[in-house]
Amino acid sequence: MPGPSGTSRAPYLLVLPGWIWLAIFFVLPICGMLSVSLMTGNVIDGFGFTGAVGNYAEALGGYWEQILRSLLYGLCATVLCIAVGYPMAYWIAFRGGAHKATYLLLLLLPFFVAQVLRAISWKFILADNGVVLGPLKALGILGPDAHVLSTATAVVCGLAYNFLPFMVLPIYAVLERVDHSVVEAARDLFASRTQAFLRVVLPLSLPGVFAGVLMVFVPTSSDYVNAAVLGGTHNTMIGNVIRTQYLVNNAYPTAAAITFVLMAALLLGIFGYARALGTEQVMEVQAR
Amino acid sequence: MPPTPPTGAPLRRGLTRARPARRDVLRLAGAAAGLALAAGCGIRGQKRPEVSAAEFWDGRRRTGRLRFANWPLYMDEDRTQLAQFTDATGVRVAYDEAIQDNPSWFGRIQPILANGGDIGCDLMVVTNGLELGKLLALNYLAPLDHARLPNFAEHGADLYKDTAYDPGNTYCVPYTSGLTGIAYNPEYVDREITSLDDLWDPAFKGRVGMMRDPQEIANFGLLRTGAEPEKSGEREWQAAARALRGQREAGIVRAYYEQDYIQPLTNGDVWLTMAWSGDIFQQNATEGTDLRFVVPEEGATIWTDNMIIPFTSRSPVDAVMLMDFLYDPEVAAGLTEYINYVTPVPEAKDRILAHAEDAEGDDRAFLTELAESPLVFPTEDEYARLHGYVPLEPGEDEGFTSLFLGITQA
Amino acid sequence: MATTTQREPGSDGAAPAGAAIALHGVSKTFRSGQGEVAAVRGIDLEIQRGEFFALLGPSGCGKTTTMRMIAGFEEPTSGVVRLAGDDVTGVPPNRRDVTMVFQSYALFPHMTVFDNVAFGLRRRRVPAAEVAERVGAALDLVELADRAGYRPARLSGGQQQRVALARAVVNRPAALLLDEPLGALDLKLRQAMQIELKRIQREVGITFVYVTHDQGEALTMADRIAVLNNGVVEQLGTPAEVYERPATRFVAGFIGTSNLITGTVARRDGEHADVEVGAGGHVRVRTATAQGERVDLTVRPEKVRLGTAEPGPELCRLRGTVEEVVYLGSATHYTVATRAGAAIVVFQQNAHDAQNLAERGSDVWLSWQPRHTYALPG
Repeated sequence: MPGPSGTSRAPYLLVLPGWIWLAIFFVLPICGMLSVSLMTGNVIDGFGFTGAVGNYAEALGGYWEQILRSLLYGLCATVLCIAVGYPMAYWIAFRGGAHKATYLLLLLLPFFVAQVLRAISWKFILADNGVVLGPLKALGILGPDAHVLSTATAVVCGLAYNFLPFMVLPIYAVLERVDHSVVEAARDLFASRTQAFLRVVLPLSLPGVFAGVLMVFVPTSSDYVNAAVLGGTHNTMIGNVIRTQYLVNNAYPTAAAITFVLMAALLLGIFGYARALGTEQVMEVQAR
Repeated sequence: MPPTPPTGAPLRRGLTRARPARRDVLRLAGAAAGLALAAGCGIRGQKRPEVSAAEFWDGRRRTGRLRFANWPLYMDEDRTQLAQFTDATGVRVAYDEAIQDNPSWFGRIQPILANGGDIGCDLMVVTNGLELGKLLALNYLAPLDHARLPNFAEHGADLYKDTAYDPGNTYCVPYTSGLTGIAYNPEYVDREITSLDDLWDPAFKGRVGMMRDPQEIANFGLLRTGAEPEKSGEREWQAAARALRGQREAGIVRAYYEQDYIQPLTNGDVWLTMAWSGDIFQQNATEGTDLRFVVPEEGATIWTDNMIIPFTSRSPVDAVMLMDFLYDPEVAAGLTEYINYVTPVPEAKDRILAHAEDAEGDDRAFLTELAESPLVFPTEDEYARLHGYVPLEPGEDEGFTSLFLGITQA
Repeated sequence: MATTTQREPGSDGAAPAGAAIALHGVSKTFRSGQGEVAAVRGIDLEIQRGEFFALLGPSGCGKTTTMRMIAGFEEPTSGVVRLAGDDVTGVPPNRRDVTMVFQSYALFPHMTVFDNVAFGLRRRRVPAAEVAERVGAALDLVELADRAGYRPARLSGGQQQRVALARAVVNRPAALLLDEPLGALDLKLRQAMQIELKRIQREVGITFVYVTHDQGEALTMADRIAVLNNGVVEQLGTPAEVYERPATRFVAGFIGTSNLITGTVARRDGEHADVEVGAGGHVRVRTATAQGERVDLTVRPEKVRLGTAEPGPELCRLRGTVEEVVYLGSATHYTVATRAGAAIVVFQQNAHDAQNLAERGSDVWLSWQPRHTYALPG
């Protein structure tokens, strides 16, 4: 029967699938993983819940280096993404003209190729005597032993490259909505181009940067493909460790404990970042 | 153990490798959800009750259909051997290149087998490593009825019978074997490489590739420290790990590779590396490179990819028929001509030479080289220097892998 | 080219001392994918210091482009813009002593009202104490002192408009450029703001250049109006001049309601001519049109009287039939079909002694003083 009570219930019914989805694919696994992280045992005889806090000690004690490195690489990749992606987003939003869609498509085009394949293609491009380094060495700009592959630089660049669109798109979306007359108003009110950008465009685009940072920092910090393909001897990221603990060692409790440590580290980082930036301000501008 | 793409195209290499990583993500998520459901009261033992061969085979009949899970590029595009099998027996085979690497495959089938479910194949190929050990310990495999394996009894090399990891071939029949030795690029290395010492030589600082797999790298560490892998224990492992760590900290190792060392070796990014025999043979045959593969003085590793039947197989009779069929020397020769790894059927060598007689030009040269290659048909001497992986008792494996992952995943 | 009351600028382009803004032969052509579009085609204007000057015209007439060239957002394709006598070609907006009030207000959404208003002062490095004082005064001026800490999103449309105004005025520019500043407001608020703007302009005493398409707004507020059409100035003059004596057919049609009458010159008499309009229609007008030629005439509806008796011979007159009567309280609008063919609109004040002079279908005389008729150039 259609009535006021029926209509007021409708929104709740509409979000129900979302809640169910979250419950099944997020809350339940999280609770399960939490429980697994406190178990002991082995894959042959099974694992039992023993409240083994020692798994966390193992995760922190054995892998703090990889965890810190992952956060550092994620941070570097995020900064690199902003440095490269912001100008791209700015250019497309303000100078893209009628071809904005084309530029966005061009930006996304490489990402129709599987990530692993892209990482592998980097190995060709950045080979020690390859198309990039070869000529530089021939010209004497680089020493004969200089290399990019198997270094932290390669891993960070690979991460930044792979997650660039996740930075560009949110920034573009916000910049695109910035009323151009606001920029003109700043120029009219005696602001130079630089001042107009720093005082008006940049603050207005911060919500996009904020979203981009979240969308880049979190997945890059837990990535394992780039470290595996582009890294060398001391570039293992925590994602690689979790993967091998899980798949090779079948050490499910250890893998789960590391996962939770990483999650906690990421949440702390994001929380601190939001506090530093002032989410309220960010949200208010976005609500405009 | 990963086979080598016979077409050798680097791109194809990339393509075949692209899959595991992506699949891992999905499986990690799925397994996480599965664990979650089981987690409330702990995860029970995954072991199945042991079944004797007589019990297992009682009342089994051929079905005429077989599902075969194998590694990419472990059989030619036309599936020649399977067509021959169908002609000979009438059994039709659904062939699936489902196995990309052992850990991933194990992770995928283990939860299903624990519950007695069908894993979608009746016959599969798994390397004699940690995962095979776990499959055996968990009683996930069907014990074989050797009355149904006359070809294997007659043509299989003794070396592949009664192995350390599966005494009496109770569960496993080898599909193919390969060597892990040292490969080097003479374009960059101006001396002959003969010893594991070369992998530790500071002259090659930053130019040495090592393998990431714990068992592979452990073997080289053990051989380097003078231990025999098959008889090693905790003390030898620690010594081996120290040696490997020293090699890493001296900056000699450029990177730890999975299967992706061929391109860096060809490019000169690494000059010498741990490598699988078939990879090097293939790269030389298809890309015209002049890479060298050596079995070092101290010894090298031999591994075997085994055909095994999951206990939930729907067509075990058909599966064991194919196992035996592949031990026909003519069939084995055909297979070896494609995959270029070590065949467990010594008679295949004469067949390949015979094929060479009949062939002309490049094909003839290729087949002759193949039959004469010590990488495909190792000599007695070389076999004497080959070692299996470290046999691990259940309960030992986690400590062992953690020790060596600590080196490759620093 | 339009007839304007603007005198020709000197060949050297030097503006007289009083001109705050001068445009000499300014044209602007935009290039687009389809070719070139001339937005402004040779405009000459001089806007005096302290003047409230309106640029009036329909959309696409070039008024906004003209204003943007003054502000520095567009550079003229040809011609010169002078601010206080100085050629400002190539000078960017932030170095021109004019500020703009945008149609969309263009307030900075991430700043408080105070910071919005203080923006220009801070860019000019005005000391903080003076900034606070001047912003406070500007907010007092627009009666928003109590909203200083708010963000623009929390203000009503009218309040935002006033913030935009304060943000511009606070800088005490040589001229304020207002681009349809009331366009987004509803009618009541718009009328209130018109008075408010005029008050503010009086109080601060700076030059206002006001772009609008609303002729009522222009007539109410401006000291002088430039009527623009198709990138040229059709007429320039005081509101009364523009209204009472439209120089072109366009101006006559665009500003207020005009009756357009076509007749033939029957007799010339010095500067004047007697024009026959249909049967019995007779209009006397100042025109150079030769005898026997056709001529277009215009007369405002409120100048026309409507009666049943034949008007005196000194008056212009037409005969017609009332087609429609619309009673509006203070006035009544009649639409009268004349013998000449054209329908004439008449506004009649409903004064205390006025009676309802005609009803639908009745025959009437229309009459007016000859000085209220203008001949339009062919």
